[in-house]
Parts: sequence; structure tokens; C-alpha cells
Amino acid sequence: MNRYLSNKKAIALFLLPALLIYSVVIIYPVLQTVYRSFFNWDGLSTATWNGISNYRDLLEDPLLITSLRNGLIFALVLAVFQIGLGTVLALACADPRIKGRKLLKTSYFIPVVLSVTVVCQLWIAMYDPANGLINRLFNLLHIPYQQNWLTSPTVSIIAIAFVNAWQFMGYQFSLLYAGVKSIPEQYMEAATIDGCSKWMAHRKVTIPLMKETYKFCLIVAITSGIGAFVQMLIMTSGGPGTSNYTLTYMIYRYAFMESNYGYACAVSVVLVALSLLATMIINKTFDRNEA
Amino acid sequence: MKRKYMKALSVLAALSLTISLTACGGNNSDNSASSGNSGAANDGTKKIQIKVYAQHFDEDTAKPFDYAVEELKKEMPNVEIVLDEAVQDGYQKLKTYAATGNMPDIYETDWITLQTFAKSKNVELLDSYPETADFKSKLNTGLESRLTAPDGHVYAFPYTGIEFQLIYYNKDIFQKAGIQTPIKTVDQLADAAKKLSAAGYTPMAIFAKEKWITTAFYAGLVTREDAKGFGDLEAGKPTALPTAFVTAAEQMKKLQEAGLFDANATNTNYDQASSQFYSGKAAMFINGQWEIYSSTEKLGDKVDWMYTPAKDEATYESSKGFINGAGSPGGFSVSPSSKNKETAVKVASFLAQKYSEYKYTVLGSPIVSVKVDKPMTGEVPPMMKRIADEVLPNVKSYATAVNNVQIKNAIDDNTQNILVSGFTVKKFTDNVNRILAKENK
Repeated sequence: MNRYLSNKKAIALFLLPALLIYSVVIIYPVLQTVYRSFFNWDGLSTATWNGISNYRDLLEDPLLITSLRNGLIFALVLAVFQIGLGTVLALACADPRIKGRKLLKTSYFIPVVLSVTVVCQLWIAMYDPANGLINRLFNLLHIPYQQNWLTSPTVSIIAIAFVNAWQFMGYQFSLLYAGVKSIPEQYMEAATIDGCSKWMAHRKVTIPLMKETYKFCLIVAITSGIGAFVQMLIMTSGGPGTSNYTLTYMIYRYAFMESNYGYACAVSVVLVALSLLATMIINKTFDRNEA
Repeated sequence: MKRKYMKALSVLAALSLTISLTACGGNNSDNSASSGNSGAANDGTKKIQIKVYAQHFDEDTAKPFDYAVEELKKEMPNVEIVLDEAVQDGYQKLKTYAATGNMPDIYETDWITLQTFAKSKNVELLDSYPETADFKSKLNTGLESRLTAPDGHVYAFPYTGIEFQLIYYNKDIFQKAGIQTPIKTVDQLADAAKKLSAAGYTPMAIFAKEKWITTAFYAGLVTREDAKGFGDLEAGKPTALPTAFVTAAEQMKKLQEAGLFDANATNTNYDQASSQFYSGKAAMFINGQWEIYSSTEKLGDKVDWMYTPAKDEATYESSKGFINGAGSPGGFSVSPSSKNKETAVKVASFLAQKYSEYKYTVLGSPIVSVKVDKPMTGEVPPMMKRIADEVLPNVKSYATAVNNVQIKNAIDDNTQNILVSGFTVKKFTDNVNRILAKENK
């Protein structure tokens, strides 16, 4: 018993520095954000107690609806593109019949290590309505579709989400590829002996066994979508108007452009709450299916 | 064993504390050095160091500042200026200085930031300093709003006058497209846009990725209808847009529908828009009067500016003297935490005056805050001469600024939206009215 207690003390002592650092750099700022969300505060002057006014105002803020809608679209595009296409690519790269798999695997990951700024600038040029590659390609292929990709309030959010999905698909691909490779080959062999086609074997064996990987990938895609910001800032500055705003863009605007830090803190709390809620729903859904 | 282990942990904890405290101490010493105190000059005399946070990144900002500093050396040899170059970040760096109690002695900022600094006591009230009275006596006519804030206080010494937006146009392109000048009405401008599009030109290059420029264009149209400009949205406390503002929105929409702006306008930055104009692809360009120097350099006598058109010729003629620029306080402010506050106030006033002097004498700009008694030495571009001879002597009034950030942002967002197909004037008025009803209740 004594030995056990002394071990506990030693564990606590070893954990203490990390806990201290964690408390200072994570717990304290989070609690401060929640606390400040109940104040009217410009970041410099003395804060005045505001009760739940910031949250009440937020409910009536038209930017909230725009931001939530955009976050959802962003998350959907990421989920479909990164996980859907990522799965196809992961299965293809795991197939020994495909030649040049190593090169493919590397090429999918290259965009991940590129600078977001560079990628955004590249796509701004590609999306240019007059001289951009996309519209020119449509012309070349005689597809009668020309679009103002980044200046149309309806299309631009999808166009921007696609850039994010394209750039970080390699990250999701690497997770999915690891998931595919972790499935013992005997399972596939058994399925093949039982007369399954390749597609059916993947549908009935590979994909169900990768549930945990999918769960993680989906959480990453959804929370990235809700919190997306950099691409909007660089590619359209949130415009035209506020059509490309997300919750994080709202925080940026209220905190840094309007010096309304109390309100921005309230938006941050909503952002964190939504991310947690999405994570919980995904976890519950996957766990229920498992049961 | 246990004691040994505890001892090792204590030593480790003490070490990490020491390191962190040393780091903090290091920061403090750095801060005190950079906040500007006394220092010894090479000749042994004691110099007062004044840290100035100012724009210093191109010819327009660096040259006048350097000139002012050189002049200061003659006037106040005991003062040494330590420049902290301002970054174009919406004054975030400055706000961080304020939040961390590390303000420079003198800093350059705008009215929006000054309002926050006034509330948080990060700006020195200059009302009762003799330098302020002296500055007031030298102020150019009509520029009171640049020095004295709407709340009656003086927070900064300005160096420019009230700046305003102009529509620049390429005379050669206009001639080729068969467009008569001057354009006086919105209908004439819409016709010109159609003719220019048909001739293969972008009618007007606008860097509408920056929202302020669409607001500036809209302000020009509003000022033709209401001399006070945006000021009426705050002073009059309307809960819905007054007629003048709706009319201006309808005019802007009409111009958008006539093809005045490029389809990619809301995603075009300054470099792209200006290069369209300077390369002869765009016939018009909108920017402040400060663009005169660049446009003269790039296009020579091909370029001129025109007044913002009005609903009809009579309104155009009668409202030409209403200037769409709104005077708001800004310039060199002083930090109340400066250890050499009295000196800093003197230096701020001196820098602002000499900055003006450079702009007037060398650049030939009449849009400066104080009267300059020295002759112009530089070559004055003809477009600037037109402003000096034609506009400034005939100014009837300057527009007033809207100080409310939410109202200003609502106008910024929605004027940018007008440039997008499908965005209606009704949506514009509904969106702005929602904010007005909230802010002016």
C-alpha cells in the first residue's frame, strides 16, 4: 500500500510540470475567454459586466447564420472530398497491382507541406474569371459554363472549401492509407475465397474495419470546416460583403476590426461548443453503430 | 533514494524558475530601453530619446518623415528620434503595445483607434498644451475637424488636410471611345461604361477587395445628394436610410448594371487595379487624391480627374463644392505613459508641421494641415494644380465622418455587395437599416 502511495506521489510529481504548463497555456485562457464573454470589453479599457447580452445579441446577429451555413458547407465539402476521394486513393495505393504507388503517395502529400498563402494565391489565379485556368479549361472543352468563382456569393464558399480540401487531402489520405494497411491480408483473402468481388470485399470488410479511422477523419473534417478562416481571409477577405464569413472570421472581425473583445469571446465560446457538440455526435453515432 | 529524487526535482524547479525570471527581466530591460529615455550622445551631452511609431515604408511616407526628423535635429538637438516602423495591420501592433503597457512616446494612428485609446487612457489629451494653441493658430481653413475631435478634445497633431476621392480617367481612351468630357451625370457615366465595354476596355478599375474604396465611391454619390455625407447617419440618428443614401445606392447599382466595374472587382487588389489603369486596359480608376503622383508618373498628360457625377447637371454644378472627404482626428499622438511627455508633445507638433511642410514644398500638395510660409520647390503635377486652383478655393463644405464602427462596417460590407450581380438595392437598404435601427435606437 505504501509503495503504491509513493508511486502515486511520484506520478503526481512527474505530472505536475506538464499540468502547470497546461493550466497556464490552455485552461487559464479558455476560462478567461468564457469569463470575458460576459463583459463589454474593448480589449484595453476596464471591462463592464454585460450578463448574457453578448449571447443574446449573437442570436440576433445575421452574421451567425451566414457563418454557420458557410461552416456547414465547408465541412461537407471537406468530408466528401477528403474522406470520399481519400478512401478511393488509399485503396488504390494499397493495391499491389498499381504501379508507381510510392510516387502517387508522395504526390498526394505534397500540397499539405506547401504554404497556405502560396496555395491560395495559386488558386486565386486559377479561379480568375477572365484569365484563370478553370474557366479557360471549360472553354477549351466546350463546356458552356463560366463562373466568377471568387466573387459570386453562392459559389465562392464552395470554391474556397475545395482549395482547403485539395490542400489537406494528403493528410486525410495518409490516415486512411494507414487504416487500409492495418487490415490483415487474411481477411481480404478469405473474402475473395468466399467469392466476393474486389468492390464487395472493400465494402463489406475494409470499410467497416476502418470505422475508427473514419471517425477521426470525420471529426477533423467537421471541426476544420467549422473553424475555417485563413483561406477566406487570403482569397476573398471574407467578401463579397460578408458572404464568406465563418465563425472564426466573425471572431477576427469583432476582436480586431471592431475592438469588441467581449462579443468576440462569446463567438469563441459558441465555436468551441459547436466543435465539441459535433465531436460528441460523431462519437455517439459511431459507437452506437458499433454496439 | 526518495530524498535524492526530491532534491533533484527541487533543483530542476529552481532552475526553471530562474530561467523564466531571467527571461522576464530581460524583456523588461529591453522595454525600458526602447520606450525612450535619456541616452548619451557621442559628444557627451545627454540626449532625450523619443520613440516614434510612424509609417515609413515608401516614398510618400518615408521622405516626409525623414525630412521632419532632420529638421528636428536643428530645432531640438537634444532629442533623438528612435523610429518604430508602423505596419499596415489595422493598428493591431499598436493596440498590442497599449495592452502590454509598452506604448511608444509618439504614435501615428486613426480616429477609430484613438477612440479606443481615449477610453482606455492610452492617449494624452493635448487640449491645454501651448503647442496645441500654436498648432490651432497655424491650421488651414476648414480643417478644424482634423485637429479637434467630435468630443471637443485634441488627441493628435495632423499633418495632412482632408483627403478625398477622385475619379481618374485616361483621356486617350475616352477620346477613342468617343466619350464627351466632363461627365456630369450618373446616366452619362453609365453610357460611358457601355461604350468603353463595347470598345474592349474595363470601364473602371477598382480595388474592391478593400471595402473602403467601394464606400468611398458611394460616399461621392451620397455627397452629391447630401453635403454632410455619412455624418448624417450618426448625427441625425436615423433608424432607416435617408433618401439621399437610397438614391446613391440606386445610382451605384445602375452603374454596376451598366458594366462600370469588372466582374472580378470585389476580388481585385490595389496592384491589380492600378496596373489595369496604368497599362491602358482600364479607362478609369478610383482612389484618393494621393494617387495623382503615381498616375502622373505612369500616364503623364494622358490622365486627368473628374468630379463624381450627380443625378442631373444642375445638382452636379450646385454640389461641386461639397467635398466627399470627411475630416477626422488623426496624426501624431502622444502616450500618457511617456517618461518625457512634455518633450514628446513638442516633438509631435513639430513633426506634424514639418511633415506638412515637406508635402507642400516638395510634393506640391495643398492638402496639408498647417499653413506653410515657404515656397513650393518641387514640380506640381497639373492635376494637383487643378485641386489647388479649382477645388480648394471653392470648397463649400467637407462631408462629416461616421464614427460608429458598426454603421461604418455595415456600409463597407454592403457597398462592396452592390458590385455583385444579383445584390439588390432593397437588400442594401434592409441590411444597413437593420444596423441603423440597432445603433441609433
